[in-house]
Amino acid sequence: MRALDVKDLTVRFEGQDRPAVEEVSFNLEEGQIAILIGPNGSGKSTVLKAILGLVPSTGDVHVFGMPAAEARRQIGYVPQRLAFDMTLPLTVAEAIRMQLLGARDAEAEEAFHHFTDALGVTHLLGKPLGTLSGGQLKRAMIARAMVTRPRLLLLDEPEAGIDVGGEQTLYELLQRLVTHHRLTALVCSHELDLVFRYADQVLCLNRRLQCVGPPAETLTADALATLYGPSTALYRHRPQGMP
Amino acid sequence: MIDTLAYPFMQRALMAGLLVGVVTSLLGVFVVLRRSAFFGDAVAHASLAGIAVGVVGGLPPLLPAAAVAVGIGLALHRLERVGRLSLDTILGFILPFFMAIGVLVLSLSPGFQPELLSYLFGSILTVSWQGLGVTALVAVAVIAVLARVGRRLVFAAFDPDGAHAAGIEVSRLLTLHHVLLALTIIASISVVGIVLVNALLIIPAATAKLLARSLGQMFVLAPLLGIASVLGGLIASSWVDAPSGPAIVLFAGMLFLTAWGRAAWRARRRTGKAVAEGGAS
Repeated sequence: MRALDVKDLTVRFEGQDRPAVEEVSFNLEEGQIAILIGPNGSGKSTVLKAILGLVPSTGDVHVFGMPAAEARRQIGYVPQRLAFDMTLPLTVAEAIRMQLLGARDAEAEEAFHHFTDALGVTHLLGKPLGTLSGGQLKRAMIARAMVTRPRLLLLDEPEAGIDVGGEQTLYELLQRLVTHHRLTALVCSHELDLVFRYADQVLCLNRRLQCVGPPAETLTADALATLYGPSTALYRHRPQGMP
Repeated sequence: MIDTLAYPFMQRALMAGLLVGVVTSLLGVFVVLRRSAFFGDAVAHASLAGIAVGVVGGLPPLLPAAAVAVGIGLALHRLERVGRLSLDTILGFILPFFMAIGVLVLSLSPGFQPELLSYLFGSILTVSWQGLGVTALVAVAVIAVLARVGRRLVFAAFDPDGAHAAGIEVSRLLTLHHVLLALTIIASISVVGIVLVNALLIIPAATAKLLARSLGQMFVLAPLLGIASVLGGLIASSWVDAPSGPAIVLFAGMLFLTAWGRAAWRARRRTGKAVAEGGAS
């Protein structure tokens, strides 16, 4: 089943000469992890925000066959960072429960316990959000996005502010969520090694979509040079053939 | 204090103070969440334009003041979204602009207007039954609306993008919050006055933030601290025969300083403990 269908998506911000994102079209099948890559300012986060309806856009976005505006409950979102006051005494449990507004109590409680356990944040529930490390905060934010049981999860650079080991743990968790919960994930990232390890599909964006496909076939040295500039080089590790 | 409570004016003062203390401190938690502490000051000072129109035009001054405050509350979120200016910058324009209008309009009226002082610094002991009724009406309305939309408002204030993505009407909720604040500020002016009303919005909520271990606790502690500030201020002012508005704010400030000192002491003790444990190992 098609999870996400994006057709001719264009985002133009007020007062800017050229669109931030121009005529982007792609689709994701259910159960895929797709990673959106591109240089800074290429429009990766804007694509996610346009799917969520957070920025004005033209074009068509369908989520599981429904217009995105009608399918908001099917979409979970993990922003790159939350611009909140770190000194607030808001606990992890409160931040996660906030997402459960309007959900039926027994179901909501079950989802709360299931995903806080799955993301390994149960022991952090009573802690203020501002005291968590980068990795703990990201896991808490993914648990927060998952408690409404979305079918499509959008993550904006989830590895930002996390060390290499933490990155791997986070993507392994994501892979498990995708497998166990029939989830589809669209992730913005700068980390090419994570793309090769975890993505079923890579989308190369620089305002316009420049290449789409399985990473091993799509991310050639030429494709990367077009995307990031001629000084980019691709080196493969011998044992695994990964960059 | 007990003796003076036999007087109706003192009973009205106490009831008005408690109502204002609870409502301002509850809304203050949302103000602290949104980091828009300047809002109360800007709207209270801007309402001087409405008060001036009322004084010069022979209307009840709080009516045009409410029109100005609610108008600002309705327009603010839209202005924030369409312009390229931050909330603080917009408020930084609103405060002096409307205050200047107020001063200019007042200059049209000859002579000294003694009631102006009560709007500037509050006059809780002269609150009428009618004034108390209006304050009670605003308080009940604000608490009823918060009971209905409070959880969604917390979500919208803490994480506007996430709330929007979850299908919450963030713009409408934040505008509603501004309107509730505007009405509460106008209802509080007779208690603590334009100059001090923001203190009742911010200080109990900020004190609660220092003491609470969760947002839920903050919502319980803030109105309790608001009540304590009003009671403490009224008792102290009747003892030393001082103006009640400033006494209430001073009392709230003392509670804040105590909580701040406690938080600093605890942080220092934690650091000392960590250093000692590090040295021992």
